[in-house]
Amino acid sequence: MAKEVSAEQAHAAAEDILTDITDFGDSVQVEIRHHTGGRRKNAYVYIEVVADEWRNLAKWLKKSKGVDYCSMITGIHWPENAEATWQVVVHLMRTGVYNPRIIDKRVHETKVDIASLSVKETPLEFEISMTLPDTRTPSVPSVADIWVGADWNEKETWDLVGIDFDGHDGMRRVLLPHDSPTGYHPLQKQHKLRYHDFNEMYDDAQGFGRKPEDSGRVK
Amino acid sequence: MAEMWISMGPQHPMTHGLWTLKVKVDGETVVDTEPDLGYIHRGVEKICEARDFTQITTYCDRLCYASANTWSHAYIYAAEDLLEVEVPERAEYIRMVAVELQRIASHLMWLGAYCPDVGNLTGMVWCLREREMMMDLLQELGGSRMHYNFPRVGGVKRDLPIGFALRCKAKLKLFLERIQEYEAILDESTIFLVRTQGVGYAKAEEMINHGVSGPNVRAAGHNYDVRWAHPYSVYDELDWEPAVERSSIKGSDCYDRYRVRVEEMRQSALMILDAFDHFPGGADTHYSKEDDKIFAENIWGKAPARAAEGQTGFHHFEDSRGESMFYLAGGGAERGKHPYRMSIRSPMFITIPYASKCMIGYKIADIPAIMGSFDPCIGETDR
Repeated sequence: MAKEVSAEQAHAAAEDILTDITDFGDSVQVEIRHHTGGRRKNAYVYIEVVADEWRNLAKWLKKSKGVDYCSMITGIHWPENAEATWQVVVHLMRTGVYNPRIIDKRVHETKVDIASLSVKETPLEFEISMTLPDTRTPSVPSVADIWVGADWNEKETWDLVGIDFDGHDGMRRVLLPHDSPTGYHPLQKQHKLRYHDFNEMYDDAQGFGRKPEDSGRVK
Repeated sequence: MAEMWISMGPQHPMTHGLWTLKVKVDGETVVDTEPDLGYIHRGVEKICEARDFTQITTYCDRLCYASANTWSHAYIYAAEDLLEVEVPERAEYIRMVAVELQRIASHLMWLGAYCPDVGNLTGMVWCLREREMMMDLLQELGGSRMHYNFPRVGGVKRDLPIGFALRCKAKLKLFLERIQEYEAILDESTIFLVRTQGVGYAKAEEMINHGVSGPNVRAAGHNYDVRWAHPYSVYDELDWEPAVERSSIKGSDCYDRYRVRVEEMRQSALMILDAFDHFPGGADTHYSKEDDKIFAENIWGKAPARAAEGQTGFHHFEDSRGESMFYLAGGGAERGKHPYRMSIRSPMFITIPYASKCMIGYKIADIPAIMGSFDPCIGETDR
């Protein structure tokens, strides 16, 4: 019995997504990518999507392709790129987990027969990328009602990176203090670490010369 | 009776760390909950934007003090995806041994903390005793007791010490016998059963939709495991099966989550014992650092130090608490020596909100039993 999902199975599952994703036209760019490190170069699906189409794509992935698990949503700030200043990266997975079957009033635990998984059931990784042009109020549609697991990921992304999620109910600070100043999102690139280079830190081990990045400037 | 909000935490035995669970109660019954996290947010993601790829390993060790090796390895696999590095076969085996030993130590720490939660102090003392054996072994590998800083991009820091396989086998065999002692004191303890059975039901599909994974899902009756679903390392060459528990119709309760972790410790121990028979080069060999060429071929190969802008890397990893993940974007400061952005997916950050909703409808006295059974770790949650 196979002990793990083979590279061929993962590739075939990714091909299946590629052939079926035609409904979205130009707003979605798909390609099969492969991991580049480690012993296996497993395939995953990389999708670039226009932010307005993101919810439709998410619904389609969930309903038609059984993508049941939202692993991570995160944001990146690229201040030097005016056309794509904000990037939202979403990692989804198809796990194929279902509640254990009940046969003759008895619950039977599931032990997946890996070799016989069809292309629609094979576990698969997805990376989805959305970019937004330079704006003071970046926002993409929320998918917290599609995958509940996206809820706290979206809260964290807003808290730390400052990208808002349209339609997210109850956005609030999760990692920073609740009374943090409005508009303060520390993973934006204008906020520098005090010691940006570790050599500076060693030159001033006691921290006597330590000053905030913006000292001397009028706040 | 009038409903009211009460605060459990940040200092409360239930929390296993610093966070607050706000509970809305109607008499003794929980009707709503709201977790409040972030008490020990250290900004690891921001700090790592000013560190090079080797330095970051130490920060990842400190994400979770109970499970340092799994976190640094999760990072290393993502960094290798970013830097396009392949690892020597022997190094993969050593990593596997380090990670599985850490998984046992982490589950022991969990069981040690969970037993007093449900009124069994002996369990704690026993678990910490066995954890000591695992920590001695990990200390031999990494050099320190809690934060090992063991993996490197392209391999591991050093080879197995001379005689390690022998000592590890002896300790694991002793440990496999001692697991039966835990089962004896817990499975036959009426107090333990009354506190854990029939509370905190959670269903597999619901958990997956909420982003909960790992042992918590396997407790609900499905053997989903990142180690076979998105394979990495050498797990396919070993004799093992993911631990899975036969839950009830209502889903998995706290008792199932305890059972699955005990079974997982047993599987990890058997896996390591099996691995020593498959070691490329033999488990008793020791490649010293003095012979550069052989060391580089077997233990720690060469790796680039820089990643260009546009390169990205990510890796899903089966942590002791669920699926953890690192996402790295290359092209940061120092001409790409630092990551431009590092993002961490913490399984507990997603599981704590779910576990908090899981306890609605139960009594206040069940809160420690339910919360503890999901194995919260606040170091990784707050990052």
